[in-house]
Amino acid sequence: MVAIIGTGIIPFGHHLERSIVAMASEATLAALKDANISRETIGACYFANALGGMLFGDTTIGQNLTAGLGIKNIPVVNVENACTSGSSAYYLARLAILAGECEVALVVGSEKMCVPDFGLLNSGTTELDTLLGMVVPASFALRAQRHMHDYGTTEEQMAAVTVKSRAHAALNPNAQFRKKESLEDVLNGPMIADPFTRSQCCPIADGAAALILASDEFAAKYYRAITIEASVLTSGIYDNQADLTHWETDYHAADLAYEKAGISAKDIDLVECHDAFTFSEILHYEALGLCEEGQGGKFVADGHASLGGRTPVNVSGGLLSEGTPSPPPE
Amino acid sequence: MTEQHDIPLVYDNILTPGPEVHLQGGYCPSCDLYHFPQQDRCTECLGTVNTTDLGNKAVIHSVTTIRTRAPLGLPSPYSVAYLDLKHVPLRVFSLMDPAEAGQYSIGQEVELQVAPLGLNNNKEICLRPYFRTCANSAE
Ligand SMILES: [Zn+2]
Repeated sequence: MVAIIGTGIIPFGHHLERSIVAMASEATLAALKDANISRETIGACYFANALGGMLFGDTTIGQNLTAGLGIKNIPVVNVENACTSGSSAYYLARLAILAGECEVALVVGSEKMCVPDFGLLNSGTTELDTLLGMVVPASFALRAQRHMHDYGTTEEQMAAVTVKSRAHAALNPNAQFRKKESLEDVLNGPMIADPFTRSQCCPIADGAAALILASDEFAAKYYRAITIEASVLTSGIYDNQADLTHWETDYHAADLAYEKAGISAKDIDLVECHDAFTFSEILHYEALGLCEEGQGGKFVADGHASLGGRTPVNVSGGLLSEGTPSPPPE
Repeated sequence: MTEQHDIPLVYDNILTPGPEVHLQGGYCPSCDLYHFPQQDRCTECLGTVNTTDLGNKAVIHSVTTIRTRAPLGLPSPYSVAYLDLKHVPLRVFSLMDPAEAGQYSIGQEVELQVAPLGLNNNKEICLRPYFRTCANSAE
């Protein structure tokens, strides 16, 4: 098994004057301090960044980070895997430790998105869908519209995800949006992609976070080490016919993680998931089995995903209140 | 004035040749499966696929309207949809007629158009396929 023995994060927001490496360095040093280890202990570094290559032409930021921190003679891997870059780096670092290649690994994600004319993310500029106007908010809005049609999910239920997110973020000093919003505030915001108003789409942010992973043996002396029971990474294809309300790849990933960990949905006490849009979180409730398929809107509106509820989700405020490498409206 | 046939299509091999424009895709006879756009091989059996006419009419399966700054020189707002094609069992993603943005609903019948609309990746004006309300169902 592998465990998390240290974490570091810098507040998400607009860090116009700071480089990707500068932000990553601060998060890394915080994680080393939290784990109480020296830089010489690190046996491998997995560095995640999705947009540095495209926006700045930077493709070896991981090595720039380790070189700047005087860390040498270790494997450094740059991980670019779109919105999954950070969790992919984590997945790979865990595998390296399980394979016995190292005892301690550094996982860092750092992203700089607050640049002029950033626009909206897409899934590849030469893809037909992109050329026909598909942007990330639209892909989830299309799922949301069909879910509303098939299951009666309402705009109020989706807005409830943002209301919950802000309430949670108020408790997180690293979040970008910490002011409470009412259902009316959320629903009265400018429309981005029907039915998503502005605060139902995560804001862009600059920021960085780091984790120190260690083998069981190394982690044994840490009373607050967190053991990783399972970590899975999977993929799908263009389904024929595309089912917009049953996100097959999401169900598959959740089922595989439960199987590997030997648990089921009812054993889950807390969830952090990718809430780029309010509705994406609702789809995750369903795929994770926190509620029946089609009932995700009701689940959040009834308070089951809030702190104190049945299964609190994104108690950090998630991407909706922290910010993300994902799409945001100007 | 530039003739329409001088304007590049946004993506190769997605429309049938001929006076009445239809979507063109792939068909695998072994699996009885259609694909759009046509793939090099069938994703199910990896066999070769035939080029096939996918028709020009569809029913809206889901639709949304993007109201923030539009990419690729598209007008703002613009609508996009998943459509169930009427001639073959296939659901495709499509741009909708910007003149009707925000006026579409699930279940509505629509038909294919092709016209200069927005820019391609070379920042040139290009032809794009899009669907709009059927002429005979508009009244
Ligand atoms: Zn086939």
